[in-house]
Formats: sequence, C-alpha cells, structure tokens
Amino acid sequence: MKINNKFIYAVAFSLILSSCANKLDVKPVDDVDAISAVKTSSDVEAILTGAYDSMTDGDVLGGNMQRDAELMADNGDVEWAGTFVAPGEIFEKSMLRDNNQAEATWLDSYRTINTANTVLANLGVVDAAKKSRFEGEAKLIRAWMHFELVRIYAKTFQDGNAASNLGVPIMTIPTAKITDASFVKRNTVAEVYQAVIADLTSAESLLPAKNGFFANKATAAALLSRVYLMQGNYDAARQAAHRVISSGNYTLTETFDLAFNNRTNSTEDIFATQGTDQDFVNELNTFFASSEYQGRGDIYVNEQHLNSYDVSDERGNFFYESGDIFTAKWARRIGNIPLIRLAEMYLTRAEGNLRAGGTPIGTTPLADINRLRERAGAKLYTTMDLATILKERRFELAFEGHWIHDIKRNRQTITKRNGNGTRTWTFNSPKLIFPIPLRETDANKNLVQNEGYQ
Amino acid sequence: MNKRLLFSLLLFFGCSLSMLAQDRRITGKVVSAVDGSPLPGVSVQVKGTNKGTSTDATGSYAINVPSGKASIEVRSVGFLTQSFEVGSQSVINISLVESDNSLGEVVVVGYGTQKKTNLTGNVAQINAKAIENLPVLTTEQAIQGRAAGVFVESGNGKVGQGIKMRIRGASSVSAGNEPLYVIDGIPMTSNFTTNSPNPLADINFNDVESIDISKDASAAAIYGARGSNGVVQITTKRGKAGKTNFSLNYFTGTSEPTGRRQFLNTAQYVELFKEARANAGFSLAGGETRFTRYAVGERARWADPTSPNYTNTVWEDQVLRKGSINQLDLSINGGTDKTKFYASGSYSKQDGIIVKNAFERLSTRLNLDHKATDKLTIGVNASLARTLNTRLSNDNAFSTPMQIIALAPMSPVIDPRTGDFTDTYNGADVTQYYNPLVSIANTNNTTEVYRTIGNVYGQWNILPALSFRTEYGFDMLLRNDDQYNGKKTVRNSVNAGNGEAIKSVANTYNFNTNSFFTYNQVFDQKHDLNAVLGMSYQQSDRTAIDAVGRQLPSDSYKTIASAATKADANSFERRFTFLSYFSRVNYKFDNKYLIGLSGRVDGSSRFGANNRYGFFPSASVGWILSEESFIKDIRQISLLKIRGSYGFTGNAEIANFPSLGLYTAEGYAGTPGQRQFQLENPDLKWEKTAQTDIGLEVGLFNNRLSFEVDYYSKYTTDLLLDVNVPGTSGFSRQLKNVGELENKGWEFIVRTDNKFGDLTWRASINAATNKNKILNLQGQVITGGFLNRAVEGQPLSVFVGPEYAGVDPANGDALYYLNTTKADGSFDKTKTNDVNQAAFVPIGNPNPLWIGGITNDFSYKGIDLSVTFQGVYGNDVYNGAGKFMSANGDFYDNQTLDQLNRWRKPGDITNVPQARYVGGNGTAESSRYLEDASYTRLKTVTLGYAFPKSITDKLKLSRLRIYATANNLLTFTKYTGWDPEVNTDYLTGVAAGNDFYSAPQPKTITVGLNLGF
Repeated sequence: MKINNKFIYAVAFSLILSSCANKLDVKPVDDVDAISAVKTSSDVEAILTGAYDSMTDGDVLGGNMQRDAELMADNGDVEWAGTFVAPGEIFEKSMLRDNNQAEATWLDSYRTINTANTVLANLGVVDAAKKSRFEGEAKLIRAWMHFELVRIYAKTFQDGNAASNLGVPIMTIPTAKITDASFVKRNTVAEVYQAVIADLTSAESLLPAKNGFFANKATAAALLSRVYLMQGNYDAARQAAHRVISSGNYTLTETFDLAFNNRTNSTEDIFATQGTDQDFVNELNTFFASSEYQGRGDIYVNEQHLNSYDVSDERGNFFYESGDIFTAKWARRIGNIPLIRLAEMYLTRAEGNLRAGGTPIGTTPLADINRLRERAGAKLYTTMDLATILKERRFELAFEGHWIHDIKRNRQTITKRNGNGTRTWTFNSPKLIFPIPLRETDANKNLVQNEGYQ
Repeated sequence: MNKRLLFSLLLFFGCSLSMLAQDRRITGKVVSAVDGSPLPGVSVQVKGTNKGTSTDATGSYAINVPSGKASIEVRSVGFLTQSFEVGSQSVINISLVESDNSLGEVVVVGYGTQKKTNLTGNVAQINAKAIENLPVLTTEQAIQGRAAGVFVESGNGKVGQGIKMRIRGASSVSAGNEPLYVIDGIPMTSNFTTNSPNPLADINFNDVESIDISKDASAAAIYGARGSNGVVQITTKRGKAGKTNFSLNYFTGTSEPTGRRQFLNTAQYVELFKEARANAGFSLAGGETRFTRYAVGERARWADPTSPNYTNTVWEDQVLRKGSINQLDLSINGGTDKTKFYASGSYSKQDGIIVKNAFERLSTRLNLDHKATDKLTIGVNASLARTLNTRLSNDNAFSTPMQIIALAPMSPVIDPRTGDFTDTYNGADVTQYYNPLVSIANTNNTTEVYRTIGNVYGQWNILPALSFRTEYGFDMLLRNDDQYNGKKTVRNSVNAGNGEAIKSVANTYNFNTNSFFTYNQVFDQKHDLNAVLGMSYQQSDRTAIDAVGRQLPSDSYKTIASAATKADANSFERRFTFLSYFSRVNYKFDNKYLIGLSGRVDGSSRFGANNRYGFFPSASVGWILSEESFIKDIRQISLLKIRGSYGFTGNAEIANFPSLGLYTAEGYAGTPGQRQFQLENPDLKWEKTAQTDIGLEVGLFNNRLSFEVDYYSKYTTDLLLDVNVPGTSGFSRQLKNVGELENKGWEFIVRTDNKFGDLTWRASINAATNKNKILNLQGQVITGGFLNRAVEGQPLSVFVGPEYAGVDPANGDALYYLNTTKADGSFDKTKTNDVNQAAFVPIGNPNPLWIGGITNDFSYKGIDLSVTFQGVYGNDVYNGAGKFMSANGDFYDNQTLDQLNRWRKPGDITNVPQARYVGGNGTAESSRYLEDASYTRLKTVTLGYAFPKSITDKLKLSRLRIYATANNLLTFTKYTGWDPEVNTDYLTGVAAGNDFYSAPQPKTITVGLNLGF
C-alpha cells in the first residue's frame, strides 16, 4: 500500500492546528442560564409557580412542618415508631444541633423566600394586568415562610420581650451572588412579625378574591388571623378570620370526612397543596398513614387521644386500624393537603370574640363552635369558655400542624408519662424550639444559636 | 545500561581469571522460556570461579569449564539466575525463565512507554506475570494489595458494584477522588451510573496485559488537569508473530460470606424487650401484644418453647447464601511479521453471596496490528461487552436483603395464614419492618450494559527517529435499567399497589482523539533524547430517559407498555469536552543522568469562562549511581538510582456546568414553573496539586534482591469545594476554589527472586503510609455520612462527634465526655448523660495509616504456589446502623448479641447502657458505634500444577495447568461487624468508612484449568 505523504501531513497538522477552542463552549440542555430564564412576564409567572412548588416541598408545607408541630407537642396522644432519626428526636423533645430536619426545613423555607423575592425583583417585566396579583402572591409566600420560621426557630411571640428576643433573618432581596451582605444576623421576633404582617396586609389588598387553587385575598386574611392569634392580638385575629368567613366563598363540607383525602379542593379549603401524579409529596401520608395506605406507619394514635372525643363525635371515629390505630386524615397518598380550612376560621373567630370581649363579630363563640360540633355529630354546647374552645381546636385540627403553636401561645404545659413518672415541658421550654441548624451556624458566624444548643 | 554493566562485570571477572589446565568446552544456546527466542548478552559463568562469557546474537555461547567445577550459572537482567550441573554433558541448552523483578522492564507512560530503569517518575506496574491466570473477574481485584500506595476498597459484597480507589490519598474534598482510567491510550468513561460505578466491570480481566499506575507528578502531568488522583493505564494483550497460540481458561468456584454477625434469639429478644419496656414504664401487655403480632398472632411461637410452633428464625440465613463463580475464556494470538492479532471471547457468571444478586458478562476482543509498509503501521483494538447485573436496593432501603436482620426472631419465614413471607396480614403490618424477602420474590431489578471500547490507530515512522501516531478512540456505553415492583411490594414501594414498572435508558458516547509525534535519538552514544509532542480532544455526551408506569393488570405484565397510568417521565442530556496540548522530553546523558520535562495545556467546558485553560508542567531528574565508576565495580550492587520529581496536576472531576448561574424547571400541580438553583461562578478553575516525589531504587546481587523507597508530598490548592453558603440566601452550597490540603507519605517495595535448584521463590512486599490533612477550608465545615467531616487541621472525612464514656454504674445511663475546651486548652473529661452537652470532637479516622501487601510465589518443577496477604491498618469504621441494631432495646429491631451485656442493676460495670424502650439511652451518634477496622487478609492463595512436557506433548497441548485458588480465605480483624472492608453504597460526598447493613465480602474458592495449544 502506498500512502501519500502529503495526505498524512495534512491530516496530522489539521488535527493539531484545527481550532477546537469553540468546542469548549458547551451549554447545558436541561437547565437554563439566568439571563435567558427571566425575560418575559410568563418567565416571572413560572418563577412564581416555582415558589409554590418550593413552599409545598415535603420539608416545608408538604407535610414535615405540620408533622413536627404535632410530634413536638405530643403528650402521649401518639407514638413515634419510625426509624428516621430527626423526627424521633423531635418527638423526644431532645433535638440535636445537627438534626437534619431542622436543616432541611430551614434551607427549603429560605429557598422559597428567595424564589418569591426573585418574583418581586422582576415585576418590571410583568404584564400590567398581572402585576398586583404576582406581587400579592409572592409577598404572601414570603410572609408565610418567615412566619413559620420564626415560630419554629425562635421563642414564641408571647414569651418575654419579642422586641429583643432573636427571631430569624428577614430576607427581602434575591441572591445573585454571595457577598458580605449574605452573612445576615437574626432579626428580632418583633421585627419578623412586623414584616410578616406588612407583607400579608399588602397581599390581602393586592390579591383577587378568587385565584384558582393559588393564594387569594382570603388566604392572606386567614394567615393574618393566625399571626395575630400567635401575638395574642385577639381583636385583629377575629377580624381577619371574619373577613374570610364573610367573603362567602367558602362553606364547611357537609360531613367532616369530606374535608380530607381529596384530589381537588373541598368547599372549605382556603389553601391546600395540590395532589398530582407527578412531583407531588404528601409527607403527612408518609408518616401518619399505615402501609395499607402507602405510608410508613411511623406515627400511630394512642387510646389517650381516642378517648378524648365525645362518643358521638365523628371526628373521634376518623381513625382506622391497621396493626395500630392511625388517623384517617392522611390516608390518601396523592391527596391534597389542606393547609387552611374554613373550620379554623370559625375557631379563631370564636376564640378572638371570647378573648377580645365586647360585641362579638359575626356571631357568638358558642354558635361558631356548635357549628363545627353539629357537623361532626357531637353533642352541642350550651355555654362557652376558653378551655372548651381550645379543646375544640384540638378535636377539629388534630394532626394538621397546629398543636405546638397552640400550646405555646396559650402558655400550656406538656405533661407526658415517662417511665413510672411524668415529664413536663413548659410553653417556653428551650426544648420546644428547633436549634438553628449546625450547618447554618457553621456557614454563618453571625447567627446566634438558640438556648440549650450552644 | 545492562549490557554495559554486564560487560564491566565480565571484565572484572576476566581480569582475575587464572587459567587452569584440563578445561572442558561446553557449548549451548540460551533461549527465553516464554517464546523460545534466542537471548543475546546473557552471562554464563562457571560457578565458584570468575570465569565467564556471554551469549552472542543468536543466544549461543561456548565456555571452558575447568575440571572439578561442577556447574555453570546463567544470569541476565530480567530473568531468573539459574545454575546447571555440567556432569558429562558437552552441550547445555538453557531456557531462561523471566524474572518477576521489574527493574529491566518497560512501563507504560502517557503517550508512550519507557524502560523502568530510565524512569524519573513513579509508576507502579502490575505486569502480566504477576496477575496471569488470577481467577478474578474484574481488574481492581488484581490491583488490591499489589501496588504500593494504591488503596482499593470494594464497599460491600454485592456483585457488580462500585469500588473505591485512592492513589496516594484523596486530593480533593468535593471533586472526584477516583483515578483517571485509560485503556490502550483512551480515557474511559468512569462515572456513568447514579449508583456505584465500577468502570472496570466491562473489561475482561484476562485481556489485560499490564496495569501501570502513574502516581507522581512527572508520570501523571502528561494527563494534566486529570492527573491529580493518579492515572491507571490498562494495556490489553496484543498478538505476537509466529505460531498461532490458543489459550483456554476455565474456572469455577463457590463463595460464602467472610463474616456473620450474631443476633438475639427469641428467648433473649423477649427478655430484653420486656425489660426495656418495664424500665421505660411501658406496660408488659403492650410488649406481649407486639411479640404475638410478630409471631403471626400465635403467642406460643414466642412464649412456649415446648410448642412445636415455637419459632426462632435466624433472618441472616435467609438472605446470605453460597454463591458461585464461573468463567470460560478463550484467546487466540498469533500472526506474521506483517499482521498480528489477539482475539478473545469470555463468558462469566457470578451469583453473589446475597440472594438475588448476580452478575453476568459476555465479552469479545480483537486487537489487530498491521504493518502496511515499512513506515506505516495501522491497527485496531475493539472490545464489546454485555453485562447483566441483577441488582439489589442500596443499603439504605428496607428492601435491601441485609436489613432483614432487623426483624424479630419469633416471626416465621412463612406466615401460615397467608402461605407467603411474613410481612402483612389483611392489610395490617405483621413484621415491624418490611420483609425484604417480599422484594426478593416480587421485584426485578436489572442493569444491562452494552459497552464498546476501542480505538483505531495509525503510526507512521517518518524517519528512523521520528514517528507520528494518531488514535481515534471511543467508549460507547448503552445502559438499560429495568425495574418491576410487584403488587405485593406495596408496603415498601408505595406506588406499587397495582404494580410499577420503571425503565431508564442511558447512553454515553465518549470520543477521544490523540495525535502526537515521538522523537527518539541517541547522539554520540551519550545523549539519549526522547520527546513527545501532541494534542488530544475528548468529547463525552450522555443522554438518558426514564419513565414510570403504574397500574398493571397483573404481575405477569412487567413493562410500561402494559401500564394503565404512565406516571412519570424524565430526560437528561449533558456534554463535556476537553481540549489538550501536551509535550514531554526525556534526556539521558551517559547512561547515568536523567532529566524529564513534561507539560500539558488543558481546556475544559466544565470551567468558568474566565479560567478555561490550565497549564500543568513537571520536571524530574534521575541519577543512576550504579553506572558511576566508583560503584560500578561493587559487584553486589546491580542498580542504584535516585530520582526526584516536582510538578503540577489538576482535578476536573466535577459536575458539567458548575460555573453557570442556572434556573431549573420546577412545575407545580401541572403548572409550569422554574426557579434559580445554582449561583454563577465564572472564575471557577482547576484544582491544582503540586507533588514532590523522591525515590531510591536499589538492586543487589544481580537484582536478586531489590528495594524501592519513595517519599512524596502532594499539596492541593484551589480546592473545588462545595462551599456551604448561608441557607438564608436561598442556596445551600456553591462550588468554589477554596482551600488547601496535603497528602504526605512513604512507599516501600522489597522484591526478591531466588532459585534453589528446581525451587524458585519470589517475594514482593509493598507497604505505604499516607497522611492526609486539610490545611485550609476558610473555616468551612462540610458534613457527610453519619459523623464524617471535612474540617481544617484534620484528615478528610474524619469522624467528629460526641465521645462515648460508657455507662454510669449507678443508674445505667449512657455517658459522654463533655470534651469542652478548658481555659488551659485541655479537654474537660467530665461525663454527662446529656449528649447535647458533649462537644463534637475528632474521634476517629476512616483513612488507613498503612496499606500493604505481601506476595510470595513458589514454584517447584510443575508446582506453583502463590500466597498474597493484603492489609490496611489504622482506620476506623462507623456503624451507622448501630443506633438500630446495637441500641440496648431502644426499639423493636433485633439486637446484636452483645446487647445482652446491658446494665441491669446499680454497680454493674458494662459498656451497654440500661435497656429503655424508646428511651434513646446511648443511641445518639457517638464514638459508641466507632471501631478500629484494621485488617489483614489472606487475599489470594493459589496452588497449581503444570503437567510436564512429556504429558502435554502426548495430549498435543502446549500447556496444561490445573489449580485451586482461595480468595479472602482468612481475615484477621478486631472489627465486630460483618466485614472490615466496608463502605456503604448510599452515602456520597465526604462520607467514608461507614457500615450500614452493608453486605459482607465473599470468601471464594475456585478450581481452574489453563490449556494452551
């Protein structure tokens, strides 16, 4: 075989000298760079949807926040039988600094806030007709996350001086790069509440009354009622709850069970996560449902809780047996998680009316409470007092993530059998507050750790 | 050099020669025992005298033997020295056996080869002879214990699973630490799966001619930005001109677990948990109800030992089994001066020691070299392999077989009420946890890989001294993952209520071209110059698609096609490229002084726009003292060489787009959405390692005994670090160039080749110590695993946590040392029962202080015996499952037997705290679950017998050998878990040295046959 020398030279040199440099400019296919990602109104709308997705993540409102509020408050109503270390520590009220749930909840909540802040920073490209709504939704999401964070990682509002107690950092600007300004300090509890109220108040005025399954005016008002209740501002709480009730857009489901395990919002859902086959998590199902209902069966219900209901109360029968006893609220794997139900608004209005005194707004506390009891088939009351309202909250809202917050704001003490004696935790026990995640205090020396975790 | 040395030796002998009368003349021919080729320049000496000669070009010699002298000794570098009785013979033809001693051998360096004597860098070679006929399926098993400073760890005993290889320690925190694998000059795709890759699984080990591991900078810098973790160069066998040789190898064997762990039996279980519940104030009845539930509703199964139904299930036995291993391999090589070929086919099948775990491989190879003209050689290497791995879930899954040990012993394997595995009954859970046997019976989980690796090359010898070679290589990998979760697995796979089929298809196309000039010239017999100049381009594209289907009519339907709901689908598409220019110059003056320079410019798509290219130079020197006149005459010293190198290598083993600010799609409830998920860092660049290596090589008594000592220091800067950023920013990490770490160590090699009559004995000992230390992370603390950390001042992955202080004899509380730092800097050793009060302090190191191996090969006539010990020393392993399985009855998981030593009454001295049901007494992650995992293992012992020529000739065979081999026959360790060689397969990042229900290693015994014809 005769090989042409010139040919080989040509091949060799073309291989060596050919300009391959542009081959190094490889762009990702599955993801998009920041500049092309945010150009139009619909790009910003997509980020807003991304914020909802982030907020309903499993470690946020997709279930773990609610689960942890129940576990931490537990007084023997339930048993933790799972192998996951982090919720086990929460249940035992002996969290360690490196509890990975404390870390995940923190990270995912702030990721949600940053996404909401990205929407707010890019309102300039949004179509005029949508601008107020986007702004309102983003502010609501940001406020909701700040509110949950301050409740989880800081002393409760009514414990000592909120103006000096450390809350959580308030974030209002999206992060483009890490700078010195990223190493934030904790704001005070009062500052966080102030920011949350400002955002929610603004959101309530910006949002439309109806907005599909996304947040609307009533969602903002309902959240405000929760915030005011935590502050002990009963007048503002009842007014906010009343605004939701009087909007006329929501009605209680005919029976109690119809409020749960739905694939579309029930008539009383003010806000619920949406169950879809793709990319959906329902961690309440994961932990509270038995394997028969696709859960891990990690949290089962004890007699102590079952016996607390009225015999005729349907809510006391909303349990099933599958080896152990489980709540039926989270029996559907791909089912919406109601985050705010109308029933809560009745409870809040009743409590606000009772505690604020004066002329009741809307109706009397007795009427509001009996409305819920009537639906559940429970014995109706003839008189009303605070203890009864608080008990009713538990009957109605058990396993929905309210318990620890109700205990804290009502300065209740958790008493739990331990061995042959009992253990107690007062409402302000540092054991009932999450540690600032070890990862965060390592990464940001400006963050002061909570009492008991230093 | 060797000829010159021999010449001088001869001269030395010759000068002192005193001629005696009555000499007898002996003649003969010296050939190589391997292929019968004549060996010129071999020293032939009359034993006990200084009289000698050397063979000529045809291998012939003639020597006068004085009367009364009985034998002659024949020696040559690279061959075993042999002596022969003269007797009455006048013609003695000799075939010399090659020595295992590698000082005279050729090693593979990037883009070429070098004689080991001329090497100024450090390359560990495992040559064909060392690993020939080793009955292993994958290459890394042959490396373990045989190369100094190369740490090989297979994380568990699942077949076809991942390996970990560290060459001179880990040089990075967040980027990859695995070496670059290069096969026949082409970088392999080595990171192609989401789950434990073993890049070498698709290569037929019997096709491997040699493995050369570049360790220092001068050897690895030619691979520039990818050389920091060392380079493993695999060279496959090539054809040899002459007779066509057939070689058939077969082996078969069985394997069983290296270790077992003991758990409570039913009586012990009942006793411990009754006690645990009572101690924690729980009712006895509640516990008994639970036991009865586990005992499929029959109280007698746990309460009445006299009952025929009394149950005591050893769950471990249900998932561990006797495995098997088989391989048949046929290779053919031969050719003419113009065309040479090597072809092979191989089939192997391995059934793991764990149920439903198997690995099967079918592979073929053709390596062809053709001399087109005097100046042009072209060739092709191609291998095609198909592997099928029947897989298991990762260690952190209820469905992984080893998690079965958590089940209570009173549960029968089969629930008589259902006739099926004890798991659920009428929808309610019977066992505390999902029974993995349900998955074993009702799932399929396979990975099938088709892989073609090969290259086409052309080499043009332009001038006698100058050649040009161009290679076009490819590594194409098609991977199919199929999984089916049957209806009965619903307790474990929540979406499998009506069956779930999952399929993913991933294709990786990796193309590479190398083109380089090689110049080789000796000027004036003193200046030996060797130079390489070239370029290389690599492009790797990976695409993947996966889909999930649910709701299948029955378990007979197992594919997405039959699913009523197509539930999920996903796709993936990535590319990376490397563009490189490289050069190397080696110069040797007067056979004594060596200088090497190399450099590489690398560009990669993975880096920031501002730092796309990096330059990686190295320089090295060597001095062959044994060539100096003042040493040359010392007869005992055959080689004395010192060498040193300094240079830079890089690390680019990171994700493909870490420098870009990116958004990712995150929809919600069917509405499209997106969010920011990565912050940009346009300055991102290579991680750079500066390495110094100083080595000494000594050969004594004609290299009968040789030593090699190396000291190295690797200093890595601009670490590619996943830096923790404040989570309040909305991000948790960002990849930045932050920090420094170092690895320092020594490597020792001792080899000896001996022949006593018909007995030959070769021994090779290697030992290496490496000290890894993180110097600077700008205060970052990176956590991983259970207690692993990357933290300044400590080795990578150090275990940091509370220090367990045993049990309070007064009340049975688990205690921990406070370990807070006192004013004088010392640790406060006060004990506390509140683990939250205990400071996190370094408590252990997953990195071994020493690694090593000893191989002894004996042969006597046809019998050969090879014994390899391998060991690691000074590393710790953390049992992440300790809090479940050794938790003094904290929860219903069955407990390890040692938990019976729990504290029971005041005054008890024990290390196991009081049993407290859900009491968390001592279950926090702490040094309680950390153990020394040093081990020494009889890695391989082989006894073989090669039938003599008289028999093989009759059978018309050129070779017939039978052998028996045992792998991992004995393990010496204090580690109490299943096996000390462990690293769970589900943790990544800085996690290291963790045991988590990880399957033990197999102990394998095989018998085999080698046939040549």
